[in-house]
Amino acid sequence: MYFQKKRVIAMLLAGGQGSRLKVLTEKTAKPAVPFGGKYRIIDFPLSNCVNSGIDTVGILTQYQPLELNEYIGNGQPWSLNKTHSCAQVLPPYERHDKKSGWYKGTANAIYQNIDFVDRFNPDYVVILSGDHIYKMDYADMVSYHEKHNASCTIAVRNVPLAEASRFGILNTNPDNSIYEFEEKPAKPKSTNASMGIYCFNWKVLRDALIADEENPNSSNDFGKNIIPSLLAAGHKMMAYPFEGYWKDVGTIDSLWEANMELLGKNPAFELRGGKRSTIYARNSALPSSYIDAGAKVVNAFVAEGSEVYGTVRHSVISIGCTIGEGALVEDSVVMPGVVIEPGAIVRHAILGEDSKVCHNAVVGGAFAEGEKKSISVTSKGAVVEANAVLKPGDML
Amino acid sequence: MNVMGIVFTNDASLGELTNKRTMASLPFGGRYRQVDWALSNLSCAGVRHVGIISRHNYQSLMNHIGDGEEWGLELEEGGLEFLTPYAQSDVHRYRGKLESLASAMDFLEYGADDEVVVMIDSAVLSNIDLNKVLSAHVESGKDVTVVTKAGVCNGEKMIDLALKLDEKGEVCDMMVDFAAPADYVASMDIFVLNKKWLIEQTKEMIARDKFHMDRDLVLGGWQRGKVSVNVYPFEGTAMFNESVEEYFTNSLALINGETRHDMFGGNHPIFTKVRDRVPTYYGEACDISDTLVADGCMLEGKVENSVLFRQVSVAPGADVENCVIMNDSVIGEGAELKYVILDKDVTVTPGAKLIGTPKSPIIVKRGETV
Repeated sequence: MYFQKKRVIAMLLAGGQGSRLKVLTEKTAKPAVPFGGKYRIIDFPLSNCVNSGIDTVGILTQYQPLELNEYIGNGQPWSLNKTHSCAQVLPPYERHDKKSGWYKGTANAIYQNIDFVDRFNPDYVVILSGDHIYKMDYADMVSYHEKHNASCTIAVRNVPLAEASRFGILNTNPDNSIYEFEEKPAKPKSTNASMGIYCFNWKVLRDALIADEENPNSSNDFGKNIIPSLLAAGHKMMAYPFEGYWKDVGTIDSLWEANMELLGKNPAFELRGGKRSTIYARNSALPSSYIDAGAKVVNAFVAEGSEVYGTVRHSVISIGCTIGEGALVEDSVVMPGVVIEPGAIVRHAILGEDSKVCHNAVVGGAFAEGEKKSISVTSKGAVVEANAVLKPGDML
Repeated sequence: MNVMGIVFTNDASLGELTNKRTMASLPFGGRYRQVDWALSNLSCAGVRHVGIISRHNYQSLMNHIGDGEEWGLELEEGGLEFLTPYAQSDVHRYRGKLESLASAMDFLEYGADDEVVVMIDSAVLSNIDLNKVLSAHVESGKDVTVVTKAGVCNGEKMIDLALKLDEKGEVCDMMVDFAAPADYVASMDIFVLNKKWLIEQTKEMIARDKFHMDRDLVLGGWQRGKVSVNVYPFEGTAMFNESVEEYFTNSLALINGETRHDMFGGNHPIFTKVRDRVPTYYGEACDISDTLVADGCMLEGKVENSVLFRQVSVAPGADVENCVIMNDSVIGEGAELKYVILDKDVTVTPGAKLIGTPKSPIIVKRGETV
């Protein structure tokens, strides 16, 4: 088999459960969770790859992979199915030397797929995760990495000091080289938070992965093991500052917020994009959406194939939804295929795919300005019966 | 049964809307081109070998269809083939369907396994289960099956091929290119024929300098008792987009729920070329009612009883009523549009006023600024 040598390939970690998304990831891996009306979370790193000129992507899957695998398919929506490109799904597998089985950690997942990476003989490997919403040109990061002659470059963003102890913090010299890494430090020394986006020289990473695998005490994790060990060994490691929008959508609240941040005339995160900033998604064959004479749609996204007869305010309505007559949807994320029957009221909620809110049911509630909002959630296919109430913060 | 599909792209008949495109590539229904119905009907009936016959202006059509991937026709065996005059023969323009079939003889004869041919046009749109038509054709044992629609003939509308049926449903009269009376049914320009028979007939007709499918083969053959004709009455919605008025009326008819479901989801989905556009954003002050909205729009004004294609923007204070707005058009602040068709990429400057009538909507050409 012929494999073209690649300067850069990407490995996308998409195997995590995303347990903090609770009912939304009961049957779906986090990267396959719908976002922004017609997208899934994984569309963002995949589209970033394509927009950055990276045409070879290994996707490491493990938890509940059915929907994710089906969604990725052969990579056609992202043009990753061509002669010199690929989107290769890499599930855990059984190996002759028994050094296999479930992916034990993020580093182990890459370790088990060294053969895949070797095929392309890349100079650099970019490690990405499948749970962030952002647009980033990885090519810039790779050039930065190359220019500084680093072994590893880590994308960082500035976080408020008060929040810094929730992140992996990189302490840097004035030239952005890293001298220390602290995972969730109690007393953070800086506000450079790791975004979980790494660029490695493949030779360096390959050796580090093999060494890490031989250490029985390692938890085979990039943040906990690989980065500290490379630092300790004296490798040059750089922080790559990123200033654009970036959101970890690993919790119900952050997923809801990120959706809300798409709205407005000048949204915090602009989904629209031109060349090299389009987010690609697997498109479904649905007709245009229909807005009825009795409908009212204000400050909202409505995706294809939806029919709106009721009122929608400050919400994201995904593909193939129906909002019945007299129904009210406010400050909510309505995922694909949801049916909201006439008279139902939905506020501050995330309605999972294909779930249903029957006649006159009430989901969630309103909150005063500044009050902490508790988001109500329905799982995939859940049914809120007629006249039933799903209280603020409750899950079904 | 192995079936071959032949799609005719049809000549321009809608004035400025089809100056630079065929009927097949005319945008319709918000996200589609007219040919999407023909291709989806064939594809969903399991037809995997399709030829597209186009006389001229086929650039935009080729752009749209590409290798046929969206319709599942990007195949190694069979798949999709463009049959353009220049690629096939020294005939530069076809005078009729038979002549174009004669030019495409290689294509017809090449698909050796195909027994039956479905011929389908791009001006009459329907979401039809062609498998039922194919079964009816085989069962009838006749030479040609014509798919027809009742209620279209009214003594005013010109009909390509009108047929009158007796009590037993047998054809008892036919007329070509005539404003047939209401007791006739209209051909939807969908024909099913046995391939071997079609090849023989085409060669013979061309040898006698006969090139018109409806007049020479169907009507002429039937009159001479040489061709037996079976009729398949279609019950669903059929849209005859053969004039600007019809195109406009049918576009707005899609706003009706039943008609819309019939056209888009009746038997199967209608596939079209994918464009990666964001969902449509409805602004703070927008007032949208009874409207079909495609993806990627930015809506801040008032829109009523209209069809908006992809990536249309309507500025605050604009008032759009009974309009068809094609993709990438921009409607400025305070503009007023009634009974208007905006072709692609039109810019309506702030405050502009365009008022047409239901019978003759104002058409603004592609790329113009008003």
